Amino acid sequence: MEGQTTLTRRSKVTGLQDAARQARDALRERPDLCLGGLFKQGRPVALVRGLLAAGAKGLHVYSSPGAGYDVDLMIAAGAVEQVFIPGVTLENRLCPNFRSAVEAGQVTAHALDALTVVGGLMASAHGVPFQPIDALRGSDVLKHNPLIREIDCPFSGRRIHAVGPIRPSVTFLHAQEADRWGNLRHLSTMVYADQLMARASDMVIASVDRIVSDEVILDDPSRVTVPSHYVDAVVEVPYGAHPTASFPNYAMDEDHIDAYADLGDAARAGDSEGLDAYIARHVTGPKDQEDYIKTVGGAEYLAQLSAEARKG
Amino acid sequence: MRAAISPLEQMVVVLARDLADGELGAAGAAALVPMAAIALARELRAPNLTVGGEMFFNPEPGRLYPSMLDDRALGRCEAAETFIELFGHSHHGLDFFFHSGLQHDAYGNINLHHVGGTLHAPGMRGPGAANLSYCHTSTRFYICPTLHTARNFVEKVDFITIPGHLSGPEAKRAAGLTNEGPRFVVTPRAVLDFDPETLRMRLKSVHAGHTAAEVQRHTGFDLGITQDVPQTPLPTEEELTALRERIDKTGTLRA
Repeated sequence: MEGQTTLTRRSKVTGLQDAARQARDALRERPDLCLGGLFKQGRPVALVRGLLAAGAKGLHVYSSPGAGYDVDLMIAAGAVEQVFIPGVTLENRLCPNFRSAVEAGQVTAHALDALTVVGGLMASAHGVPFQPIDALRGSDVLKHNPLIREIDCPFSGRRIHAVGPIRPSVTFLHAQEADRWGNLRHLSTMVYADQLMARASDMVIASVDRIVSDEVILDDPSRVTVPSHYVDAVVEVPYGAHPTASFPNYAMDEDHIDAYADLGDAARAGDSEGLDAYIARHVTGPKDQEDYIKTVGGAEYLAQLSAEARKG
Repeated sequence: MRAAISPLEQMVVVLARDLADGELGAAGAAALVPMAAIALARELRAPNLTVGGEMFFNPEPGRLYPSMLDDRALGRCEAAETFIELFGHSHHGLDFFFHSGLQHDAYGNINLHHVGGTLHAPGMRGPGAANLSYCHTSTRFYICPTLHTARNFVEKVDFITIPGHLSGPEAKRAAGLTNEGPRFVVTPRAVLDFDPETLRMRLKSVHAGHTAAEVQRHTGFDLGITQDVPQTPLPTEEELTALRERIDKTGTLRA
């Protein structure tokens, strides 16, 4: 018809800084941020660094039930007010800045468990007012968990628990591949709670190791882990999960995380110079991911992590 | 000549002997010793034991890893799941699971949240824990810390993250903990179990090279030792060979 322009499908490919600013603005409205992956795998760390560089503050951080390096880094950068993650650890050692900040009363770390977090995300993803839970007994966590209520089961009459919807304002995910429309493919063995979070959140921003052609997605639709319908922006970031792993593309950089934790321990003991320098060098300093890769040892060093991931 | 049996190898063998063919179980967060025990049981006596409930089924790692939340540690696992399925497993329960913590008390309760102070003003803040359900929805669980001192074995934990037997049979019943709970505690020094009447921890056996008096000295509560305590049975040749040559080729349990 006359005067009408032809619409074309909009690509969701976004730059790292633009994506981080978009997230920061949404989090100013409502500070609930959720991170995909689990512990040292599949964490959207480049997006987290971008958000910190963009100046996010007062965040309420959610995750799959276990997190470590990234939430500790966000606390070190002074961006976190409350932590809603059941397990916070580097696994081989405690998270130094998490510990310090909670012990000093600067950050509130809620006592939670996996079923509360997963159940809350399920309620949000499924569009129901609460998710019943019937497997929480005997733990002191139940006395402090702010997200659950006791209810009578309408069928058995038994006392059970309910958790309301957890609706993150922004979720960051990291996947190995996506097309330009934002269809994500996790090639790692585990997908954690990423699919649930994508369906539970207001805004979803994903980093991927590489953008693939439309044909790759169309040739194998059952391989798509998160359909583009749920994704608002996708950012191609080589080594975007570093120093966590993005299997099968690269393994976790345990030396980097250990060196970071040493700086955190020094800060705990009163010497924060090294930790401040770390943040300046790796978080606020680099102007893009290419620059970041140089600060952590360069492409050759990261290629070793790729070789390690393929060893199995 | 064979290297001496390490404390962790002794722990692995004790745990492996208690796992049965056809069972379903998972290793928990500190996975090194539990995964080795599961692998040893599967290798020698329990080919139909299924590893599941932690988002993967039957991993085939090339060596032992400290955490199973690492795709390298899964090797070629048979299938993967997500946290949605973990929600279901947590309700249905497993046959067995493993736990350890910052503090363990006389009734097998485990603390991973804080030592000293309160939850929101802690003396020392611990990591917390993700899964609080397998300890009571599963048929039983094992406590297997790799340290045994008077500081991590205390009369009463500062916070119950993982309930064991609470303060005994009555409290356990009142809380609706209907399964066995912690069956025994395996440490680098000894095996401990729970008095069936009171559900208080007691010394079952001491590993070779250790004494009952030493175990009591390194435990922050009274183990009620009144008679001779037997020695923990040593690993057999078959167990040690399987463990060292097929499961722990890199010697992680001896490091």
